[in-house]
Amino acid sequence: MKIYITGLGVISAIGTNVEENYQSLQEEKTGIEKIKFLSFDSVVLAGEVKLSNDALIEKMSLKNGFYSRTSLLGIVAAKESWGKNSLNQSIRTGIISATSVGGMDKSEKYYRQVLQKETTDISFILTHDSGNTTEKIAKELGINGYINTLSTACSSSANAIMLAARLIEQNKLDRVLVGGADALTQFTIKGFHSLMIYDNEWCRPFDENRKGLNVGEGAAFLVLENEKSIEKTGNKPYCIISGWHNAADAFHQTASSPDGKGATLAMQDAMKKAKINPNEISYINAHGTGTKNNDLSESVAIKNIFKQNIPPFSSTKSFTGHTLAAAGAIEAVFSILAMNNNILFPNLNFSQSISETELLPQTKLQQVENVKNVLSNSFGFGGNNTSLIFSKI
Amino acid sequence: MNGEIIFRKDEISADDFTKQIYKNSKLDYSKFYKMDLLSKFAFLGTEILKAHSKKITEYGDDEIALLFSNSVSSADTDIKFQKSYLEEGSPSPSLFVYTLPNILIGEIAIRNKWFGENLFTIFPKFDSDFFANYCNILLSKNTEACLCGWINILDENVDVFLFFVEKTEVNRINSPLNSEALSILYKK
Amino acid sequence: MTSLKEDLKKQIIEQLNLEDVQVSDIQDDAPLFGGGLGLDSIDALELIVLLEKHYGIKITNPEKGKDVFYSINSMAEYITSPKG
Repeated sequence: MKIYITGLGVISAIGTNVEENYQSLQEEKTGIEKIKFLSFDSVVLAGEVKLSNDALIEKMSLKNGFYSRTSLLGIVAAKESWGKNSLNQSIRTGIISATSVGGMDKSEKYYRQVLQKETTDISFILTHDSGNTTEKIAKELGINGYINTLSTACSSSANAIMLAARLIEQNKLDRVLVGGADALTQFTIKGFHSLMIYDNEWCRPFDENRKGLNVGEGAAFLVLENEKSIEKTGNKPYCIISGWHNAADAFHQTASSPDGKGATLAMQDAMKKAKINPNEISYINAHGTGTKNNDLSESVAIKNIFKQNIPPFSSTKSFTGHTLAAAGAIEAVFSILAMNNNILFPNLNFSQSISETELLPQTKLQQVENVKNVLSNSFGFGGNNTSLIFSKI
Repeated sequence: MNGEIIFRKDEISADDFTKQIYKNSKLDYSKFYKMDLLSKFAFLGTEILKAHSKKITEYGDDEIALLFSNSVSSADTDIKFQKSYLEEGSPSPSLFVYTLPNILIGEIAIRNKWFGENLFTIFPKFDSDFFANYCNILLSKNTEACLCGWINILDENVDVFLFFVEKTEVNRINSPLNSEALSILYKK
Repeated sequence: MTSLKEDLKKQIIEQLNLEDVQVSDIQDDAPLFGGGLGLDSIDALELIVLLEKHYGIKITNPEKGKDVFYSINSMAEYITSPKG
């Protein structure tokens, strides 16, 4: 059975909706710059969404209530993706969302205040947990069927998309709103600094002199439907999701194995699922965080599979920063944009190939004849590796 | 273990509960002490299951799927990490590494060199429907067995429940994993 | 110098959660990494934190850490030598 993608929504450092994001990608304009809204004790580059929390609340006309930034971003993207869909008794609908930060942005701000006894209001705690973010989104859209939240680090929303596809394939659901959201927090910026994998300049995915990642924030949602659902909703599909796979790297809590085993398994088996050969992949939207470790490991895995015929590949994290749990979904949207417009997005800030693997990413925006199958990688801490394949109908 | 008490916490001991279990199980794994509480309990639970049921170790390295869940995510460790930079002045890398609940899956995968698939979900409480449904989906495909767990830890509250589901057993009794039965086991 | 090395060993055991290791188990000149202690890359980062916390020395390049943290001896030498 075919699983169709019929809705797209995204908010990131390069735009507050699909159109704006696509525009920035075409203009090769990065959204990574000095942070403005998050308070931090030193200057840091990150992929911050260019709207304050108040602006987001106003944009979505939200009523009173406590919303973490993660929820706000999620609501924006979910609403765009859900569009004119409505609930229907005969269409079994679910929502699956992924986050790693949850309501942390508010918690860390108010935690200090509570510590210093400046406030006794602890309602913010209710928004801290990851599940609450999903519930807020579900409530905004009126979805009350299957609700699920995933938290598997950087591969979270890719895993969410995979779970959604499986539930439809196994005939448990007909339509799923699926994606992820993560907001910038002091917690994550300090954390990556403590691991010494944060670049103080603009990140350089797949470059020999790469120094680390820039954190980003954002959210993206997709609507997945089976044929039965599309017949009722009349939604026009963008493409299908044809393959997926998740594999463990089993090497280290936060570093990827030098032989790229988990990544290789994920990509290989996703192609098996899609029943396509490596030479049928038109473009790879890589995980490409810009860290010494990931980019080498991922390059090794790409070489393992594609050998001499490496398809064009790029990391769009040079535009958005590493959006953590939202990355899988944001990059799924970008992959679909690439496919539908037959365009390859560039890997910014590249000048020299990694000496061990000598791979050359796509460095310029390029219009091509046909982008038929796109492979999108999301490799998370904990050795959680997921690859998704989107294909033209 | 299967309803029987195999070890009880010694309240007088200087060692914490996880260290007591570790020693009692006669394990020798230097990485153990670096783990956070979530990973320690998940690791110990898995080792105890393996000791009880040798056939777990006989599966191929990509045949077992790891499926875990909880309601508090990595909150226990998150708080400790926050303390490290708010109160102690420098963020601790070894704590940051554990500020994600799925790392516990990574630890189990590393220990056993299992490359199968893995997933971590957040639910307000133990959701037997989810586990039953998803295990059945996985077992109907290429997965041969599922190691599942509910590992919920915050402050002094520890709620850990692990179970192992095999395709061969499911096929033998000709019935998919049953959510109600699972719910009953959890309550016990 | 001897008490510095003793202190270092104690601090390392505490910072890296080396529960079953005693001060007497760590030789002054034995390699800390790739030896019996089973230290990994995250431990190397924690040692950087240790240097800053206890000795006020900040290492910003993780590559430099490899030389500094080779052994207790090399750590002690780095701490007591004048910094350029």
